[in-house]
Amino acid sequence: MSSNVGDMDDGSQWGVARLLARAAAADLCADERLAIAVDDFFLPAESRLDERSRSALAGTLAGMVAAVEGAVGQHAARLLAAREVPALSEALATSQPLVMGRLVSSGLLRDAELMRELVGRARQEGLAGALPVTAPEDPDRASLLARLIQNSDGVVAAAAMALLAAENRRHGDVDAMATRTDLPAELHHRLTWWTAAALREHFIEAAGDSLPALDRALIDAAMRSVSSHDEGDRLEAVAMRLAAALDPRADELAPLLVEALADRRLSLFVALIGHALGLEYADARDIVLDPSADRLWLVLRALEVDRESIARIGLALSEADPRRDLDSFAEALDGIAATPSTHARVAITSLLLHSDYRGALLALARGTRP
Amino acid sequence: MNVNEPMLPPVRGLVDRAGRLLEADQRLMDLNSRAGGGIGQSIAIPQIATLARLAQRLGILVSRGVVAADGDDDVELWVRAEPEKAGVRLLITGWRSRAAWYPEATQGEREGDFLRSAGDWSWETDSALRITFLSISAGARHGFDSASMLGQPLTRLFALGEDGEGAFPILGGLAMHQRFDGQNATIRATGRTVRLSATPRTDAGGAFAGFIGAAHMIDDAPPVLPQPAAAPEDLTDAFAARLDQALRSPLGRIIANADSINAQSEGPLRQDYADYAADIANAGRHLMGLVDDLVDLQAIERSDFIVAKEPVDLADVARRAAGLLGVRASEAQVRIDKPAPQDMLPATGEFRRALQVLVNLIGNAVRYSPREGMVWIRTERENGVAAVIVADQGKGIALEDQARIFEKFERVDPREPGGSGLGLYIARKLARAMGGDVTVDSAPGQGARFVFTLPYRE
Repeated sequence: MSSNVGDMDDGSQWGVARLLARAAAADLCADERLAIAVDDFFLPAESRLDERSRSALAGTLAGMVAAVEGAVGQHAARLLAAREVPALSEALATSQPLVMGRLVSSGLLRDAELMRELVGRARQEGLAGALPVTAPEDPDRASLLARLIQNSDGVVAAAAMALLAAENRRHGDVDAMATRTDLPAELHHRLTWWTAAALREHFIEAAGDSLPALDRALIDAAMRSVSSHDEGDRLEAVAMRLAAALDPRADELAPLLVEALADRRLSLFVALIGHALGLEYADARDIVLDPSADRLWLVLRALEVDRESIARIGLALSEADPRRDLDSFAEALDGIAATPSTHARVAITSLLLHSDYRGALLALARGTRP
Repeated sequence: MNVNEPMLPPVRGLVDRAGRLLEADQRLMDLNSRAGGGIGQSIAIPQIATLARLAQRLGILVSRGVVAADGDDDVELWVRAEPEKAGVRLLITGWRSRAAWYPEATQGEREGDFLRSAGDWSWETDSALRITFLSISAGARHGFDSASMLGQPLTRLFALGEDGEGAFPILGGLAMHQRFDGQNATIRATGRTVRLSATPRTDAGGAFAGFIGAAHMIDDAPPVLPQPAAAPEDLTDAFAARLDQALRSPLGRIIANADSINAQSEGPLRQDYADYAADIANAGRHLMGLVDDLVDLQAIERSDFIVAKEPVDLADVARRAAGLLGVRASEAQVRIDKPAPQDMLPATGEFRRALQVLVNLIGNAVRYSPREGMVWIRTERENGVAAVIVADQGKGIALEDQARIFEKFERVDPREPGGSGLGLYIARKLARAMGGDVTVDSAPGQGARFVFTLPYRE
């Protein structure tokens, strides 16, 4: 009885101490939260992610991490079972998702390249989804990709089919996206090894003496995931493939760009610009997504796109993105159209430099002077 | 709401480069003069003036849906403004007298979302009926190759069949660019039967740009019995049909206008007036709900009312119903605890009707929950009966009221606003038509617990 009372006293003492400690911590937290809210409030609206992109980004990131965690964890569990470490195998096979939380807390996910890819993807999807529906002049004329699938050039037809399938997968197929990241190879590799490391860290105690077996299984599983990843399957890569297969002449480019937007195939629009300029998809995407579209207008002029097509493109993008100012675009259109393409080409030369070189220049400029 | 009213011939006009109306067909002339303008003067309909100016500056055809005031009415116009030498040529169609300040396109997308959430899988086409979207995993699940169907005509995937009356609903949908339901079809690759429904996607100028569709698998279900020869339309039939048309469109207008006043989209307004507008919109929505219920009521009280007996997963239906009510619940600060994603409860019934019953039950639970309250949805199976239980933390229902609330025009709490008093009556009728039931047990102060049962499917 007395021991019970003692227990209870200890319990309540402990409870009081914990409550006080937590209250003190909460005070600090509240202060931090306010500071973060203040920072958030004063972020410039044009750089801040809108809520839709933010939620799309969170969903995509969580889905990717879950896909990699599932692949690595499950395969490692199978290997451990086959290598007769059943308890560890069972623990891995039945564990709740844990990698996401660990990667966030470690700060690893703040990786600039990964975030650039994901933010670009989220913003592109937001913009593509908001593009106005445009009915064709002739209702019996099939949409662009459907026509290209029937193209007599097998390379074009196959690439168009692949793009339509990749768009389907990316935008409507939760099941298909549950097992793939659609990341560039380098980013996929990085995410895979982080995941393996997070799994090791979590199961290190459970492994005990079997730690070497756990390491081997995780490494084998990660290697398998890395080697089976085909970055050529990604929507972005497939779109670039179609743009390369089409390889439009200067006079064919403008109508293709306009029709790609009218069909809400923003990925093809980006890829056509990327291909025409010799840019990577991600660089072309940055130019297209930028709401103050000055770079895009210069690029279009450098590609000798005519006034009418630029007007259609500007109209569609402005209707889709409230941050773009249709009125000032209409005001500037004459000036844009009057820009000689030679001047425009000179003006965008810095955009066309090798992306790593440009990255290095930017990084150097951001850094402190010697 | 994409039903096209009988198309009137398009109305033409010409605006010069300074924005003055040079020529106009009679209807545009009338509209413009009622707005205080005339030939040779600046066009007096601000939305059209803006559009003409934009088209002129961009130098391309711009089309948009425009809502213009016409006396006490609003007309919805689809305006195409095309620049030419003399100025901007206007071509106006639509002339529907109802307000829709949101573009038709968005509405098509929204209806598409509803369709998709109700169907087993979804598809989309362009205006030439080429498939532009088809879920890859649906193909894998139901035994056809989705990827090879992309870009192909819809009829390559489906063999379309006539319905009980020898009609092809899709043809009507295509001709009128409106929503269609109940198109029977078989998947060519597998021979399995499906039922298709779709809603059109239209652009800002009102032109048809394709279908957003859903497919419901109706495997194992007995073929839909041919409808008995249509009974001569009696008074109630005609009444219901008219009710739908006669009330829906004016109500839609009231709600739309009140919402736009409340949103102060035409300019600032004193707050109490804006709040009155919200009250008007809410009252309008209430009446619209009543119209929906009355139309349903009329259908289920017909002697030839039948429901499909198809395999459904009641846990899945419950999750979807909870999903549809997510927004309303979060507005009311009520949490819905829905069945876990892996829960399954195979039963026999009609998917759409089961969804309707659960939306009603969960909607009631949300409505009667206190703030920060919780609505629990649980699934159970007992002796050949599949049951979904919806429990709330509201004030509960006294024993003597429990029979009453299932009667026509009765309400769980007559003092509460909202609700037509038909929801539970319809829910129970539907459940019973599917071989199940809706029951309640509760005591005052303990929350209500509604149980929706269907026959369990082995």
